[in-house]
Amino acid sequence: MDGVSENKMVPSDFSTGPMEKAAKPLPFKDPNFVHSGHGGAVAGKKNRTWKNLKQILASERALPWQLNDPNYFSIDAPPSFKPAKKYSDVSGLLANYTDPQSKLRFSTIEEFSYIRRLPSDVVTGYLALRKATSIVP
Amino acid sequence: MAAATAAGLATNVFPFRDARAAPDPVLEAGPVAHGSLPVPLVLDNGSFQARAGWACPGPDPGPEPRLQFRAVCARGRGGARGGAGPQVGNALGSLEPLRWMLRSPFDRNVPVNLELQELLLDYSFQHLGVSSQVTGEGCVDHPIVLTEAVCTPLYSRQMMSELLFECYGIPKVAYGIDSLFSFYHNNPKNMISSGLIISSGYQCTHILPILEGRLDARNCKRINLGGSQAAGYLQRLLQLKYPGHLAAITLSRMEEILHEHSYIAEDYVEELQKWRCPDYYENNVHKMQLPFSSKLLGSTLTSEEKQERRQQQLRRLQELNARRREEKLQLDQERLDRLLYVQELLEDGQMDQFHKALIELNMDSPEELQSYIQKLSAAVEQAKQKILQAEVSLEVDVVDSKPETPDLEQLEPSLEDVENINDFEPLFSEETPEVEKPVATVQPVFNLAAYHQLFVGTERIRAPEIIFQPSLIGEEQAGIAETLQYILDRYPKDVQELLVQNVLLTGGNMMYPGMKVRIEKELLEMRPFQSSFQVQLAANPVLDAWYGARDWALDHLDNEDVWITRKDYEEKGGGYLREHCASNVYVPIRLPKQASRSAEAQASGKGSGASGGGAGEQA
Repeated sequence: MDGVSENKMVPSDFSTGPMEKAAKPLPFKDPNFVHSGHGGAVAGKKNRTWKNLKQILASERALPWQLNDPNYFSIDAPPSFKPAKKYSDVSGLLANYTDPQSKLRFSTIEEFSYIRRLPSDVVTGYLALRKATSIVP
Repeated sequence: MAAATAAGLATNVFPFRDARAAPDPVLEAGPVAHGSLPVPLVLDNGSFQARAGWACPGPDPGPEPRLQFRAVCARGRGGARGGAGPQVGNALGSLEPLRWMLRSPFDRNVPVNLELQELLLDYSFQHLGVSSQVTGEGCVDHPIVLTEAVCTPLYSRQMMSELLFECYGIPKVAYGIDSLFSFYHNNPKNMISSGLIISSGYQCTHILPILEGRLDARNCKRINLGGSQAAGYLQRLLQLKYPGHLAAITLSRMEEILHEHSYIAEDYVEELQKWRCPDYYENNVHKMQLPFSSKLLGSTLTSEEKQERRQQQLRRLQELNARRREEKLQLDQERLDRLLYVQELLEDGQMDQFHKALIELNMDSPEELQSYIQKLSAAVEQAKQKILQAEVSLEVDVVDSKPETPDLEQLEPSLEDVENINDFEPLFSEETPEVEKPVATVQPVFNLAAYHQLFVGTERIRAPEIIFQPSLIGEEQAGIAETLQYILDRYPKDVQELLVQNVLLTGGNMMYPGMKVRIEKELLEMRPFQSSFQVQLAANPVLDAWYGARDWALDHLDNEDVWITRKDYEEKGGGYLREHCASNVYVPIRLPKQASRSAEAQASGKGSGASGGGAGEQA
């Protein structure tokens, strides 16, 4: 567990003579500590990133779980079985209509005229909010 | 300020507080920490806030946790200035200027970046005044109670144990779930209780059934929506509604709106119907007053300015084209003259010179010359006419400088002429349709204060509603009500009855007004006719986890079974967990120990082989 030079935190802990303002060794920690999980990749010094949650879960899936064991991904709530209600993108009221040109939902005539006058970036913004952006152009 | 609007009645206008956090003082540990037994430190490690304090024994249960700070850190502004390392939590003051540099150890509700976690722990220990009294060895002498996620990944627990035992030298640690600690706090201690916990935090919402005092982990469910998703949704809604105020609609202000101006509707559809009525809207809309910014006024004119600029560009291009046309006309004219001269030579009968000239011109016969002359003269005529036309329309342009639609119609024919000559064609064809559009949406600014107000109407109920209807933001997961039904259906009827008698709502995201009533209504809809249920909101949904952890620590100080000691860690690996009434369920899978980087590849290969053989077969 050496490798003092490789840990980014260490230089600030280890007092090397001239004391900088933020370089006081903190009395409660071991100054020689190196995170072993630091750099979850094979490459030596270069890849120093921590695993994010997706990567951790991917490697957790590979562990030998039994069928009924509770783990982080088995706890995810199931998808909904009930049909989703449609709400207007602009005002949030119940939307009975959809604009065929921009695919935005609206509930009143005034909203429709407002929608038709929106610039295209706002339109895509509303669709992205609902995750309704279509991949096919 | 609010009363001085020209609109008369200024109801429901609220300013943004934009609170800045005060930096925490470095506290003295005080006599509290130095008892005969080492006093446990209680840390509620949350993705929104971290709360830390001592679990002091004695008659006085003690005040709030001494430290409560946002679980974020950021380097100081202006690059890495010498000396000033990353600042944590309340030392950052206001979060907004640093929004893009904020880093958090959490990814959803699991700590993944242990370096940042180390920073947060350093900050907590430093400000609580922890010092090592025993020897010169740097270590923290106190047992620690730490919260973790429900069914946290083994890797994450391993990293956390490693950090605690090897970096800080802690004697023993106990991991627990924050919602269960809150349950422990809100229920009488002597009874072994069963119940259902609905806990909604910053990143996710859990529904946890408790049977006989222990978490039934197989039947828990987690919805990946919480306060941060609600804040993000609200922010995007307001930014799309007020594109001029993009920069002023910050996440901190959104959190302020959620905390103070939002509520949960008891019946969402009915509440929306109420909002349709303009009177109700007027009475209940909250107008958030943004601070005045003269830059914003300038931006309303830029669309007109943009049109002005486009007009200028068009004019410039036209002048350029006109000049080019004239030059070409001149060249053509000269050539035509020369050819005519040669033709005259032919007519005059000076054959030798004529032939010589023909050869010079690279032509074979007088007929060719003739046809060439004709073509050229036609071209010259055309060019002259076009120039005349362009001059006329240019004059009209200069007189009429306002960007109005009749102007554009006159520009159109001149634009068509230009197409042949130059390569600015794509620019022109894309510019004309755009110029017409923005004119209609530019509104004159009458009421300055009203211009700087954000009208928060139905957004007050839309943003918190996402945990009940995740389809609002396109999530496929089921909302709280449906998930609750799903979980209850996994139990026999008598157990269901038992569970709904003790429903606890906890977590910061549960503090909206109307939340309890809504959950009661949802339960009423799904339970059998005339059956009873009991819903209780935690006494202090935000801090109850910390209080519960402190109570638990004090009650279990001498109980050795629940603490993970250093010896356990070394023998059984970092993923080891000792179960207790408020903990996760331990699944004995041995993770490969993460060795140093170069040996890691080998070790993981060997380790997973060993654990695969030792810990049962894979299905």
